[in-house]
Amino acid sequence: MPWLECNSRRIHYELAGPPHGPACVLVNGLTQYVRLWHPFRDALVAKGFQVVSFDMLGQGQSDKPSLFIHQDDQVEVLGRLIEKLGDRPIFVAGISFGGVVALRYAIDHGDKIAGLVPMSSFAEIPAQLYMLGAALRTGLILGGTSFLQDLLFPMNFSGEWLDSMRHLIDLARHRGWLANDVYALQNLMESFLEFEPLTDQLSAIRLPTMILTGEYDFLTPRPLQESLRAHIPDSALVIIQRAYHAFTLEKPGLTAYLVTRFAEDVMAGRWRGKGSIWVAPENVGGELTPFPEGFDHMRAIPVQTQAPELAPQQKATAS
Amino acid sequence: MTPFFGPLEHGRIPALQQTRVSAFLISAHGALARQLGVAIPASLHHGWQVEMHSQYCREMEILSLLGRATSWVFDPALAFLIWQWEAAWLPHPVSGVEDRMQSALIDLAAFGHALHTVIRPAALLPEGFPDEDPFALAMRRIEFESGRLMQAQILFLKGPQLAPVRDAVASAVEWRHSQVRELWNNMLHAMDIDTSGRHALIPAYQARGQPVPAVAAQPSVAIREP
Repeated sequence: MPWLECNSRRIHYELAGPPHGPACVLVNGLTQYVRLWHPFRDALVAKGFQVVSFDMLGQGQSDKPSLFIHQDDQVEVLGRLIEKLGDRPIFVAGISFGGVVALRYAIDHGDKIAGLVPMSSFAEIPAQLYMLGAALRTGLILGGTSFLQDLLFPMNFSGEWLDSMRHLIDLARHRGWLANDVYALQNLMESFLEFEPLTDQLSAIRLPTMILTGEYDFLTPRPLQESLRAHIPDSALVIIQRAYHAFTLEKPGLTAYLVTRFAEDVMAGRWRGKGSIWVAPENVGGELTPFPEGFDHMRAIPVQTQAPELAPQQKATAS
Repeated sequence: MTPFFGPLEHGRIPALQQTRVSAFLISAHGALARQLGVAIPASLHHGWQVEMHSQYCREMEILSLLGRATSWVFDPALAFLIWQWEAAWLPHPVSGVEDRMQSALIDLAAFGHALHTVIRPAALLPEGFPDEDPFALAMRRIEFESGRLMQAQILFLKGPQLAPVRDAVASAVEWRHSQVRELWNNMLHAMDIDTSGRHALIPAYQARGQPVPAVAAQPSVAIREP
């Protein structure tokens, strides 16, 4: 089992796939641990990628600092892992909390990676997200990890998926409860209390960036990803249909397909972000379609971005 | 080695394992209760002292519960182990903190923090172990309460009053964590239990099509319902 030493801390990580191909580093969400990436990872490996996944400080089998966890330490761990991969195309994909760590790394060390994929991520914490985070933290303190998971399941997944997994939900709660320690989760959540908005620094990310967002994600809703799209010059926003916050778990095959497609486009020199907006296919192998021109991608109903010019006859009727 | 108690004896946690784990918990929580009892002033002047008093009462509840919910058997190894544990729980000066009273309070809080965070007795229960077993329910209740009790220590140890000695505080807490973890793991290893094995379990999302074990081991808010 591989371990990385970083500032006297032990970090647990996993490597899979061919050692000389392009690499992809996966950065966990808050309650995640490396094993939860396996279906997603296997799809990337099948496409010839070497995949690195790791438990951040405070997660899974990595060391869990007793009182304080700093985001800078998480970014440093990510940097050390990337250094170990050597000189080859390296892509970094992080979800939610892990997306923030990936963004911070890309702001300072964008020259060391070939592409970035923030998923359900954010660069600032507006009041809604802050209050949700604070409520989740209170839930953790009063009800423990199990109650936190009770809150997160319906936030992270679609009703259809939860229905199909109904017989496994108790087991999922139990395994998640076994893998996570209350104090470590609390430290991770509190590391966001010192979170400084990254928005002003996003323009420093000059590398190809594909921003993935779930169509129905209300935990980190689209305005947060729109902010990334607006500030990262070579970015594109891709909306995953019928997806909530944790689409790497609910739709691992499709998400891995989008990531490998992005990486292949970047490596072939075909990637053109240009702040474009796309709708992901529903199934692996499908085509991305441009978001319909003239409609507002921030709305849930088809609202046109500008009122169309009225014909003279319509003007007369209107008056 | 297994991450859980067992193998079960007639559907119950082996009495020797119950005895050893409860003896450890009584030793540690008893030491914390004694130290809290000494540290709480007769009249309270600060908010954290109220938390401390509440914690003292909870520790007494844990001791009483363990004494009654455990199936005790004679365990000769305890004669040595208890002395080893009791020696470890003695107050320890915190290097880098000159004020003796402050140093003692930091060590006490660090010990409590380690006890309530490192030790997860309910995580030792086999998946699917019945809820109504008194020892199992005691383990769940202790772990569940620990999640709340540690908040008093977190408030104190992360509080602004200790900001000037934050590095010393962090070191003291790490030291207590490492000490408690080593003793807890050694005690479990002697019974062929290795908690690291819990990380090798397959996540439920990947268990489709496989037999699903019943689960009832995690403590939850439900245990607080009347």
